[in-house]
Amino acid sequence: MRRFAPIIFLLFFFSGFSQNRPLLYNVDDLPQSLLQNPGARIDFTRHIGVPFLSQIHLSAGSTGVTAYDIFADDGTNVNQRVSNVMREITSGDYFSINEQLEILSFGWKMGARGYFSAGIYQELDVFAYFPKDPALLAFEGNADYIGQDFKFSDANFMGEVLTVYHAGFNYKVDAKLTVGGRFKLYSGIFNAESTGNDGFFRTVETPGGPNFYLHEVRGLDVTVNTSGYASLKEEEDMTVDKAVAELLSRSFFGQNGGLGVDLGFNYRVTDQFSINASIQDLGLMFHQKDVENYNYFGSFQTNGLEPLFPELDGNEPTIPYWEIFEERVDRNLQEETTNNTYTTWRPLKYNASFQFGTGKSILPCDYLLSKKPRFMNLFGMIISGVNRPKGPTYGVTAYWDRKVTDNLRFRLAYAVDEFTLTKLGFMMSSRFKNFNIYLAANDIIGYTNLAKANSASLQLGMQFIFKDL
Amino acid sequence: MRNSRYIKLLFSGLISCVLFSSCFKDVDFSQAEDITLEPDLEVDLLFYQLNETDFLDSETNAYTPVIRDTVRLEFLDDDYIQDGLMYAALRFKHQNKFPYQINSNIRFLGENGRSQFNVAYVIPEGSGAATSVIDTTRVLDSNEIEKLRRSIQMVVELEVVGAGKELEGELDFMSKGLFRFEF
Repeated sequence: MRRFAPIIFLLFFFSGFSQNRPLLYNVDDLPQSLLQNPGARIDFTRHIGVPFLSQIHLSAGSTGVTAYDIFADDGTNVNQRVSNVMREITSGDYFSINEQLEILSFGWKMGARGYFSAGIYQELDVFAYFPKDPALLAFEGNADYIGQDFKFSDANFMGEVLTVYHAGFNYKVDAKLTVGGRFKLYSGIFNAESTGNDGFFRTVETPGGPNFYLHEVRGLDVTVNTSGYASLKEEEDMTVDKAVAELLSRSFFGQNGGLGVDLGFNYRVTDQFSINASIQDLGLMFHQKDVENYNYFGSFQTNGLEPLFPELDGNEPTIPYWEIFEERVDRNLQEETTNNTYTTWRPLKYNASFQFGTGKSILPCDYLLSKKPRFMNLFGMIISGVNRPKGPTYGVTAYWDRKVTDNLRFRLAYAVDEFTLTKLGFMMSSRFKNFNIYLAANDIIGYTNLAKANSASLQLGMQFIFKDL
Repeated sequence: MRNSRYIKLLFSGLISCVLFSSCFKDVDFSQAEDITLEPDLEVDLLFYQLNETDFLDSETNAYTPVIRDTVRLEFLDDDYIQDGLMYAALRFKHQNKFPYQINSNIRFLGENGRSQFNVAYVIPEGSGAATSVIDTTRVLDSNEIEKLRRSIQMVVELEVVGAGKELEGELDFMSKGLFRFEF
């Protein structure tokens, strides 16, 4: 099997997917690994998280631009830098923010082979592609882009805040195979999404035509769906603070629901080598209450206004060309606000990894122990990704996981993803009796100067973990 | 045991250093105030295609050497013109097949009908075989931009010089504006 490891490494490396929380994936003495893979092998018998503190996860990233690219303090003109960024960034570049706060987390061993775990967490997920064409039109206008389409499909974003109630079961089928599943109930607090937009605006020269140009909007079909927003909007004197307070008050029982599952497995090919994979959030959100949809659709073209030189006496009003033009625009380019229910997929996350262990640990000399010795060094590779509107975002992480003692473990990771080719990560988990604290930071080179970092992520938490022998 | 404590301290220290010393360097976020949108918009304005019938009274068939029309350009009153217009260049193009000179006067009027500024020129005579073309670009200076902001109506006026009822031909007009804004 050792001979095949480099081949698998290369296959995985070049087939790629991404991010998620690779620093906590496959960490068998952290309950959070069960959130990444409900079929993960685990090395504890009970756990209970410190409420609100068992996992705080923050990550943010931008594939096309850093704060330094715009705000560099180098004496050059900021508008020139904005212009340069606008030219380099593409409509496939994106910005993302993800936050998870574990409110409650607990679990215990059930029978000889099972482990039940459950909890509640709150999640915020914002993902927006760079709206290149609308931004270019706003920043630079159409003068330098005669004949070029400004596509409305570049406006593509989603954002949601929800609370997730989950319960999962991890089952050790035999010495080699462990499987698991997690059922999730989503309680939607807020959602806004606009994907699958269509249409374009363009200005084309019209030699032989009635005027210099033809301006046209063709096939405009833009929809913004929202849930949990209309009631905020309608409230009088609503401020950002009040809106946040209102959203927080919906935290436990949001107005819209959804269902989802996580599935995963781990298979020990040999004592030293194992493979595993998981999917998370295979689920749907049903937006039925407090829903408002904003629709913009139609086609329109114009060469300008055409005076007709009517015969008027001094008292007759002129033809209201502008009003007629506006009526034509309103008739052909329409906007409509509806209250239609809609359904969204949760962003499906997937992970696959292999792991190779070396250096067996020495267990206490006790004939009652049924545990197998663990490996002190683990080398692995994780391929992970998230489904997004224009296709999956992906990344590959290679790691060295070192168990220094039964109470101390760290992981060094190197990752390549759409944000950067040099993502170094570090995780440390430590136990003081049964109290565990862990901290993981990804892209630690970026932390030295966040202005130049394309991404940063951080997970930390504390909980009680029991390893009854 | 001593070893593990040392490692714990070392890595806790390292992580603390990384996280707590993390900061934004070499950037000046106050430049956000200097970021401006500076779109250059090319926009068609008016156009027309006239022939001899446009100079004849539809009821009496009497010849009228002077015709005019007024078009309200409501967008000139919008905030983006009033607050953000920095540069404007107006282009007018006439193509004349009438065998007569035509005086063109394009006037911009305020709400009260008072003239703010005008662009006047003579369109040379043309013929069915040889169209005369006059292409005029007027770059507005800051004073005229202010006058454009005060304008709301565009009057196009034509006067055929020396023709009579036998007038025959075509006159095409195209116009556009290049507007540069700063927001």
